Amino acid sequence: MRFVRLILIFIASFTAFAAVAATPAADPLQVLRGAVDEVLGIVYSGKTQTQSFSVLVRPVLEKNFSFDLITRRAVGPGWRQFTPAQQAKTTALFTELVIHTYADRFEVGAQPGITYAAPVELSRNKRELPTTIDYAGKKYSVAYRMELVADQWRVCDVIIEGVSMISNYRAQFDPMFQRGGAAEIMRSLEEKITQVSTAK
Amino acid sequence: MNIRPFQFFLWISLTLLAASPVRAQQNPPPDAATKNAVDEDEYAVAKIYDPLESFNRAMFKFNDGLYDYVFRPVSTGYVMVVPAPARRGLGNFFSNLRFPIRFVNSLLQGKLKRAGLETEKFVVNTLAGLGGFIRASDGVPALTDVPSEDLGQTLGVWGIHKGPYLVLPVFGPGSARDTVGLVGDYFLNPLHWDQLRNVDGHRWWWDTALQATDSINSLPGLLKLYDDEKKAALDPYVSVRSAYIQYRDAAVQQ
Repeated sequence: MRFVRLILIFIASFTAFAAVAATPAADPLQVLRGAVDEVLGIVYSGKTQTQSFSVLVRPVLEKNFSFDLITRRAVGPGWRQFTPAQQAKTTALFTELVIHTYADRFEVGAQPGITYAAPVELSRNKRELPTTIDYAGKKYSVAYRMELVADQWRVCDVIIEGVSMISNYRAQFDPMFQRGGAAEIMRSLEEKITQVSTAK
Repeated sequence: MNIRPFQFFLWISLTLLAASPVRAQQNPPPDAATKNAVDEDEYAVAKIYDPLESFNRAMFKFNDGLYDYVFRPVSTGYVMVVPAPARRGLGNFFSNLRFPIRFVNSLLQGKLKRAGLETEKFVVNTLAGLGGFIRASDGVPALTDVPSEDLGQTLGVWGIHKGPYLVLPVFGPGSARDTVGLVGDYFLNPLHWDQLRNVDGHRWWWDTALQATDSINSLPGLLKLYDDEKKAALDPYVSVRSAYIQYRDAAVQQ
């Protein structure tokens, strides 16, 4: 009898384990809400007196954004002509710039109110998550494009009032690449990062 | 009513519109990639018709100086003197006052439901929001998110090409189509209807003061948007141009 019970417990635990393993990645809306709450928690926690927003929000953004995809899409087809070392360096520089400028948009003061609308399915692995941000008496529409990357829902583009972050950088990188290839893009990113870091 | 500068822009814009190619060079949607395209090809570069680039770049530089040396000090002073709730109230008031622009353009685009919502919003904010100073319509779920319409969008919905990209002095980024829209909307704005003339003891500067308050009150928000865009940009001219075109295309689609 004890043996049968043992087998039953084993089967039950195995089924539970299999169920957990087969569970699809968490809901993208849940992931986004979690990330946004975490960022707002950091920005409005008061800790930012001693450290800059960008240092504090970096781990949250690195966990929830796919900077690898964002960078290669912003650079466009020219990416294929980058050496692996140039690709790694450009990704690191662009990540740095995006985190810096993202963090710069926050101001200490009233916390913005955020409402989430129903996600729109763009394809099996892509969703668009529209949100409305109510800040200082004005409303802004911000949509997040999320994709399933290695079984994790990650932000791959942010569209503020119809303006896609990737499309915007794509427009800027393109003439740079035509002018001076990967070296010109990296030079420009380095110059900008120095500028935003020293402006603090 | 002094409309000379607008007549000038209207003339320039119409000339440029007439000279622009017939076929629209729309922004391809970001997801326009083919099914099996690799990641790098996911976003195509939007082709923007900018034959006046050298003029536009000069204007962009001029405006940048104007914002730094004239608008920013005015805006900073204004923010110091006028407390945030008052600025928000004034912003709500002037936005409510622009109701005819949104209403007429909703009708011109055949969006009758939207025109109805705009009317409802105007009535609620005017009556329950103390003449528009309080955005009382936020309490009504159907009225919280009504997309705003203007003449530039109406012309876009009618299939009129946006024409060349155009950086206007003071006004900033625009297109020939939006400049024509701006002129039309000017006449739909009650601030330019000279209504105060009927009030006893009217002085000529009352209208000017009211119009100036509207402009100055919107400065801090506009400058913040501009600064954020510029701070993140590797090439501010290209970035602002891309942002403006994407923003207006999205507004026309709504």
